[in-house]
Parts: sequence; structure tokens; C-alpha cells
Amino acid sequence: MSMKKQEELFDEIRGALINFDVEAAKRAALEAVQMGVTAEKVVDVMSEGMDVVGDKYQAGEYFVTELIIAGETMKEVLEVLEPYMEGEAGGKLGTAVVATVEGDLHDIGKNIFVMLITTAGFKVIDLGVDVSAERIVEAVRDSQVDILGLSALLTTNLEQFPMVVDRLKREGLRDKVKVIVGGATVTEEYAEEAGVDAYVKTALDGAEICKGWVKNIRS
Amino acid sequence: MNQEFTIRILGELVNVTETYENMMAVYEGRESSGVVFQPRIKHWYDVNLAAGTLPERYQGMYLDEIYRDLDVTPRQVWGLEGVGSEFAGYLGLQVKEGDDVEVWVKQTHGLFYETKAHDYIITEYRTPKGTMRQVQRLTEHGTSFYNSEYYLKDLEDIEIYKYVLQERTYQWDRLRYEWGKKRFGDLIPLRASLQHSPLMWLMVRTMGFQRTVTMLWKHPKEMEELLQLLEEEFYKQIEAYRGRPVVELSFGDNMHQDMCPPPYFKKYVTPFYRRVMPKVHAQGMYATSHWDGFVKQLLPLVKETGLDGLECVTPLPQGDVTLEEMKEGMEGMFLRDGIPAVLFCPWIKLRTLEDQVRRLLEMFYPRLILGVSDLVPANADIERIRFVNRIVKEFNESL
Repeated sequence: MSMKKQEELFDEIRGALINFDVEAAKRAALEAVQMGVTAEKVVDVMSEGMDVVGDKYQAGEYFVTELIIAGETMKEVLEVLEPYMEGEAGGKLGTAVVATVEGDLHDIGKNIFVMLITTAGFKVIDLGVDVSAERIVEAVRDSQVDILGLSALLTTNLEQFPMVVDRLKREGLRDKVKVIVGGATVTEEYAEEAGVDAYVKTALDGAEICKGWVKNIRS
Repeated sequence: MNQEFTIRILGELVNVTETYENMMAVYEGRESSGVVFQPRIKHWYDVNLAAGTLPERYQGMYLDEIYRDLDVTPRQVWGLEGVGSEFAGYLGLQVKEGDDVEVWVKQTHGLFYETKAHDYIITEYRTPKGTMRQVQRLTEHGTSFYNSEYYLKDLEDIEIYKYVLQERTYQWDRLRYEWGKKRFGDLIPLRASLQHSPLMWLMVRTMGFQRTVTMLWKHPKEMEELLQLLEEEFYKQIEAYRGRPVVELSFGDNMHQDMCPPPYFKKYVTPFYRRVMPKVHAQGMYATSHWDGFVKQLLPLVKETGLDGLECVTPLPQGDVTLEEMKEGMEGMFLRDGIPAVLFCPWIKLRTLEDQVRRLLEMFYPRLILGVSDLVPANADIERIRFVNRIVKEFNESL
């Protein structure tokens, strides 16, 4: 396949993803792998499309709803690419463990954060909601984790943040992982006292901070 | 506030307190003798009661007795759930399902305050069209619940739900109203709930946020039909309130711009309200909507809905809007609540709380029923309610 043809196909894939055209994205993705492009490369191209979706979100053109639809579009294309994949898709930026802390069942913000960092290239271990400090630290201990993301909305559950940080320290893990927390009721003062590395009000801010951290680690 | 006024409610002359009159002034857009402070403390009460951490002073008290002790206007004090339920707020209509719709409930716990992690309530609607089911988990201390599984998972469930809706009717809860009228009727105008507007009803209660977005994208025709049916439920509910002494109807909504961004708001929410609000107003009632999420992008659009007011709009540092943005977006509307809940937590400086309250009073009087956005947290310092009340009294005396 000529470079020109390849680039045209890649443009088609990116464009289809940005405009949520599932059938066009599947067609172009399959054509690419059938012409010799690796499935992993096609996934990279789709991630570039997701970056554009993220830029449009940041610019206020797209909203969380479009992020969800873009994620669904990508998921459907990954399903047709699966037979052609040799390894796992994604995870090049690093690994993150994400959870809503014990006692709290709110997860919309967490789920948006997971979606954003997954499409940015992180491998994400999503522990779900109402997750104990013990289980969170166990997940950090068991995987090569770069980032730990914790979410809480209820003020009564914010105390879980310093509990998790203390537990990380006791197990000698604190220096190995960056901790970011989110939730409408978190304040700067509380985050500082809790000993976390960053706190955010929005999932998008959280994703940007995580990408920045990984770049700093690499450089 | 201890003056008495005489007003006419459904043709009948009734003596009411100054508090009642001042709340009516907010609805009617008049100046009043002062701001009413009507915070929601039920959540604080419920969790601390269940956890055994109610301050000793309040142990053994009913919720409205605690309001009286704090010297603030009661809210959520009597209703379906016995102690600590609501007269002035939650659903005053009883749902009556069709004759061939069976509602089955299974729960794994006994006493609500003895719940364990993963205690759940399964509710099934069994109909001739099939069965749909939801699973809710109880939160810490069993005082609230959360959907871990929603009713509407696919097109088949939507067909079952359409059948349930078509057979459903609503009844005015006369007994609950009459009991509450004796106890609170001269103090607080009657406020009753409507469910969330159709899109938010799907997102928050029946289908879940992500699935609603995906279904709107993949099955727009079926979803439009469902939204239309949900709108017809409102017409049934509003008709059930016809002739009742309800002053304010409140749409549950839980509005949040991440769930309902401006394009969705313009397409699904504004047209709905523009059709429904004339019917509310034709019955001499006012309507508010519960906006407890991030709403910066939506506030500029709210005036087009025709709503009379918003409840629970949350300014910074907890929400995403300044008081100025709230004021501008809500021009011509009234605000219920407005003090960010987190300011009642002990680690926040009292001065921060005081400054926020003073600014709210200055900027929003006379179109303000002051309260907490969204409700007093379980680990709040309840004495801060008393503190705020002193500031409100001071402000009222200065008028």
C-alpha cells in the first residue's frame, strides 16, 4: 500500500471517529489491517482521533456526551480489530488505578476520568465504587501503578483520602505512585492535609495533570 | 417572625404566619419583611440517628422539633416515611399501577440502619409484556440508596416500561395533606414534587447516564417515543394536583451540565418545560427545578424554560458558578437555597460561611428562600445552622 493511500485511510479512520461514524470507522480500520497495517497501529491512529475529540471537548465544542459516544465508537471498532491484535491495546502512557472510596457510590466523575485517561493511552484498573482503603492499596501493590485516582462526593467519605495515603506510606508505596483526588466537596486545604499530589474539580483537569506527570517521569 | 396574616387559599380565608407570607412574597415577586431560612437537615438527621451520633440535645426529638430548637423554618418534616419525612416537599401523589402490573420487592436487610456492605433492594415490574428490574444498594447507614442496576437496559425493557406508564394513574394523598395542614399549614406554603423531567428521569433514575446517551445515539426514534410518553406522565401528575392547595411544584431534575450539556438542554429540556409550564401556571402554581450539579453552561439557558425558580444551585467553592453568574442567569427567577453544603463542615472557617451568607442575602433578596445547597452534610456542625440564622435575623432587622 502506498504511503498516500495509507495516510488517506488513516484520515478516514480519524475523521470517522471524530464524527462518531461507526460503520465508516470499522470499514476503514478493516481495510487498513487487510492491507498490512498492524492492528496496534490502527489503534494508535484512533487514539489520535480521540485526542482531537478531547481538544474539541476542551474548546467547548464537544461535551461529556460526545466523549461517551466517541468511546463507544472506538469500542465497536476495537471489537472488529481484536482478531488481528497481537498484544493488549493501550497502556503506553502508564497504568492507573481508579476508585470511588469506601462509603461513596457516586461514579459519574470517576467514569468520565477513566474514559479520558484510557483514550489518552493509560491502562486503567477501575476498582468501582465503595472501595476500601485496603483494596485500593492492594491494587497499587499488585500492579506497576504510576497513578492512583480517588473520587468522593460525600464529605463524610473524604477522610478515606488521608487513610489511603497513610496506608501507602506504611507499605512503602507512597513514593512509587502519584495520587490525584477529585470531587465537588474537596478543597485545596483538605487535599494538602490529606497528603495527595493533586486535587481537581473536573475529570478533564485530572486527565491533563496525569498526562503531564507521565511526561515529566519520562523526561 | 410572629405576625399573623390572613390570606385566601382555594376560596377559604386562612390565618398564616409572617414566615408563610414572606415565602408567598418570594413566589409572587414582592418585597417582604425578611428572608426565610429553610435548610434541609433531614440527611444530617437520618445518618446521625442511624449511626447513634445525634448530639445529645436532639436525641429523642422529631425532626420538626429540631427545627424549632434551631429556630429555623422546617422543611422535610412529615410524609410517607414517618419520622423525618416531608410535608413541604416530596411527592404528594400516590402512584397507582395498572391492574395487571405487579410490583415485587426483595430486600436483603431488616432494619435499615443495620445494613451491611452490598445490602440491596431488587424491584421488579411484572407485566403481560415482560419483566423489568432494578437493583439498588443502600448507602452507609442505610439512609439512602443508589442504583447498581437500572430498569431500562435495552429496547425490550423500554416496551415493558411503556406498558407500565400507559396503565399508571396518580392519586392525591388527602390524608397526608390534612395531617400536615394541621401541623404546618400556617407556617409553610404547600410544596409538592414532580419527578425529574423526562431526559433526567432516564439518566438519573431509570436508564443510567451512559446508557441514555448511547441509546439516544443508536435508537433515536424509540427514545423520542419514550420521552413523549414520559411527558404525558407529567400531564397526568399535574392534572392530579388540579384544585389542590399546592403553591410550588418541584421537578426533581438533579441537573448537571455533564449529564445534560447545552445541546441536550436545548433539544430535550427547554421544549419540555415550555410545554409544561403553562399548564402549571394555569393552575395558579409555581414551579422550581433541582439544579445541584455543575450548571455554569446551563444557567444562561434557564430563563427560556419558563421556570419560576431554581433549587440547590451551588456556587463556588463547591459548585462551578459565582453568585454573579447565578444572579445574571436567573434574572426574574427566585433562588431556593444557595449556601454550599461544604461550608457547614467543621474544617471550613466560620468567616468563609459568614461572608457567603451575607453576600447571598444582599444579592438575592427579595427573591430568595435561603437554604443549603444541597443539604446539610452528615458530618456538619449543626450549630452552624444557628449561626447562619443569626445572620439572617440581623439582615431582616436591617430592612
